[in-house]
Amino acid sequence: MSAFQEPFFTRGPSPLARLTFFTLIAIAIMIADHRFQALSFARMGIGAVLNPIEQALMLPGHAFSRSMAYFSDQDRLLSENRELNQKILMLAAESQQSRLILAEKSYIDALGEAHPRFAGNGLIAEVIRDARNPYARKIIINKGLTQGVTAGSAVIAGDGVVGQVTAVGVASSEVTLSTEKDQAVPVMVVRNGLRAIAVGSGRDGTIEMPSLPLGSDIQTGDQVVTSGIDGTYPPGLAVAIVSQVEKNPAFPFARIVAQPVAAVSHQRFVKVMLKDPTQIYPRPDVGLEDKKPARDITSTGKSPAQNANAARREQRRAAP
Amino acid sequence: MQTPPEGNNAVPPLKSGTMDLSPASRDPMRLPAPFSLIIIVIVAALLLDLLPWGGIALITHPDFVLLALLYWAVHEPRTVGQGWGFALGLIMDVADSALLGQHAMVYVVAIFLAQLLRVRMLQLSVAEQALHIITILAISQGIGVLLNLAMGRDFPGFSILISLVLGALLWPIVNAIATIPRLRRRSSRVVG
Repeated sequence: MSAFQEPFFTRGPSPLARLTFFTLIAIAIMIADHRFQALSFARMGIGAVLNPIEQALMLPGHAFSRSMAYFSDQDRLLSENRELNQKILMLAAESQQSRLILAEKSYIDALGEAHPRFAGNGLIAEVIRDARNPYARKIIINKGLTQGVTAGSAVIAGDGVVGQVTAVGVASSEVTLSTEKDQAVPVMVVRNGLRAIAVGSGRDGTIEMPSLPLGSDIQTGDQVVTSGIDGTYPPGLAVAIVSQVEKNPAFPFARIVAQPVAAVSHQRFVKVMLKDPTQIYPRPDVGLEDKKPARDITSTGKSPAQNANAARREQRRAAP
Repeated sequence: MQTPPEGNNAVPPLKSGTMDLSPASRDPMRLPAPFSLIIIVIVAALLLDLLPWGGIALITHPDFVLLALLYWAVHEPRTVGQGWGFALGLIMDVADSALLGQHAMVYVVAIFLAQLLRVRMLQLSVAEQALHIITILAISQGIGVLLNLAMGRDFPGFSILISLVLGALLWPIVNAIATIPRLRRRSSRVVG
């Protein structure tokens, strides 16, 4: 129909009615996605179609950079190789020790009833690209549902925590970096074992620890590692180094800014920590006397409150 | 590509005894867009948006899909409407790992504005249309920013305004790409 043939009679609802209709649906979808994470299937479906196209679109760029590297990088490769060799030598001693420590730990684990929470080997994934979203700090990796990645898995790199898988596609996943606003990691300070929660600030790639009271013993230069009490991140991974401590008596909490240890947004390869489904360990809130295996928060997609309710219900059922 | 304004086509002065029935401007003789052309333009725009944009280009690149949608909403209002905006918005939400429904809402509002302004825009030259487009883009981007702020995200900086200017500059190009295939050859037949 040409632009000049205006219809004499308008058919269907008016533009304003359509606008209202579509806007309401869009708002409903946004709420469903934001509050309840209910639409991961729709996301996965659309993503399954889009991903191959995106991969194809990236091929020319890859080919170009690869050919450039082929011509230019002999020197760089040599020096990198030398550095890596030195690193291997330095790490060799530590790895011998750690093997011994691991053996001892597994012996102690067998004595007690602690279970290892993670499958021994994670999954190495390549970072495909940054997410095209100026508001969010996310990266896309090339492993997905078919490789066994689940939403909530921790993602680490050689030097520390990178983030957490937040959306799983068929053959790719979306990782929210630990510097993303409100992305929380349970941590502790190496020097004194002080536990806290590190939260991405969303600004200039820093991490904050908003919940530490003024009197807490923390100072600049403190190393912060994962505490492991959440069951998502394995304990002991480097997260950040405290760079700024501001104790203003006007506020109940200290303002603590830390710099992430891993170059969270500049990794090429990351490791996805897969959870071992055979190793289910009890949640601390279930109570020690009845060791019912409760599933953890991230894999069920339920809120902690729902989980606690379920646990309480189980307890009640077990009581008589 | 400067297409003459479509509304005020000067009527050629009648020569005595002859009458030129061919239109003064070949623009009114534009063919209706085949469905395939609509799809091709939108898919091409989608592919451009799916390129791995990063860094400063991520913030400043214009939204090609929105521009293509606006063009067709102005020129083919019976075919492309708010439903298209909604569907493509959902696709863009997944592609940009944004909150689902965010682009959908922005596109629907933009197409609604285009529907309000289209009769007026068609009277104007392409450059003047681009001024309307930058307004529509600004309003829709404002909504997008507000949605993100409501979710507690931070403002990415004023360089996002560059994308509006680039979008407006791109409007004549979109116009050319989508209009030229539809121009009817001017017939050499002159009655006289």
